[in-house]
Amino acid sequence: MSAYILPILFILIFCYGHIKKVNCYETFIRGAKKSIPLIIDIFPYIATIMIGVALLRASGITSILANYFAPTFNFLGIPSELVELVFLRPFTGSGSYALLNDVLIQYGADSYISRCACVILGCSETIFYVTTIYMSKTKVKKLLYAIPVALFCSLLGSILACLLCKIM
Amino acid sequence: MILASLCFLTIKNPTVVLNEMLNSSKEALSLSIELCGVYVVWLGILEIVEASGLSEKIAKLLRPLIKKVFKVNDPITEQLIAMNLSANMLGLGNASTPLAIKAIQKMDTGSCIASFPMIMLIVVNATSIQLLPTTVIALRENAGSLNSADIILPTLITTIFTTLVAVFLVNLCAKIFNRGQK
Repeated sequence: MSAYILPILFILIFCYGHIKKVNCYETFIRGAKKSIPLIIDIFPYIATIMIGVALLRASGITSILANYFAPTFNFLGIPSELVELVFLRPFTGSGSYALLNDVLIQYGADSYISRCACVILGCSETIFYVTTIYMSKTKVKKLLYAIPVALFCSLLGSILACLLCKIM
Repeated sequence: MILASLCFLTIKNPTVVLNEMLNSSKEALSLSIELCGVYVVWLGILEIVEASGLSEKIAKLLRPLIKKVFKVNDPITEQLIAMNLSANMLGLGNASTPLAIKAIQKMDTGSCIASFPMIMLIVVNATSIQLLPTTVIALRENAGSLNSADIILPTLITTIFTTLVAVFLVNLCAKIFNRGQK
């Protein structure tokens, strides 16, 4: 059933474009053109984070940390394999996508762990990064309760994500 | 963090250091190229969404809700927030950020303390409702998933739930904070 969602959505979008007299071919190309600068923008970040993560993993620091936090996360219903991902997510978008890719390859794209990882990533945001950028043009220094609430809700989302993946 | 793990690994096993670094940067390159292919499809589709005025329509639908949740009265700010949120819903992270920056600038009063609508915008963006987690789906497809779209529904449910909790918590905190100031 859900396999139909995307193709049908694409058809609808193309039809809507035609009705609105948008030149779909040229518009598509215009959008596609943006992908190269986007990749050039994010490639250095992905590479650096992946090097960092590889070193962290090889050094064994993450497994120590993961072991340390695993009981807490297990208690909340989050598989211990995903501790790294949950921690890295608020800081870096491309980095967590790199990590997601690792998880997908290591555990198989359709495994329970991979599905959890996907939902966790889909429903969270790079909180620290986004906040910094949003506030960059103002003088605001005190964010009061914004960050704690955002982090709490993300964690709640991760817990719910793992629960939903189990039953759906 | 990188330095710490570098030191740690050098002590533990110096022969693998450079190897690990080169391997992962190669991996990063191939991941980026794969992602680039994925972005061609999505950015192309989304460009049509934008050009056909579909994203503005979604934004329009959201406006009454935004008025209530964010407690702002300026129509331009409302529209900016609406467009920011709808871009976020479609997984257009890069399109949503400049819109949010503009919205925040509109709300800026020069004070150094964040106002209620600013905090609301940050928190709601952090949990933002996701209709199409495009990059995630793409990565899954790439990794050989048989049904890469089956995460849409759980993601949607989770984000709706966390967004509701977020709105509630921000309101609650605002109340507690205001009482504390009096």
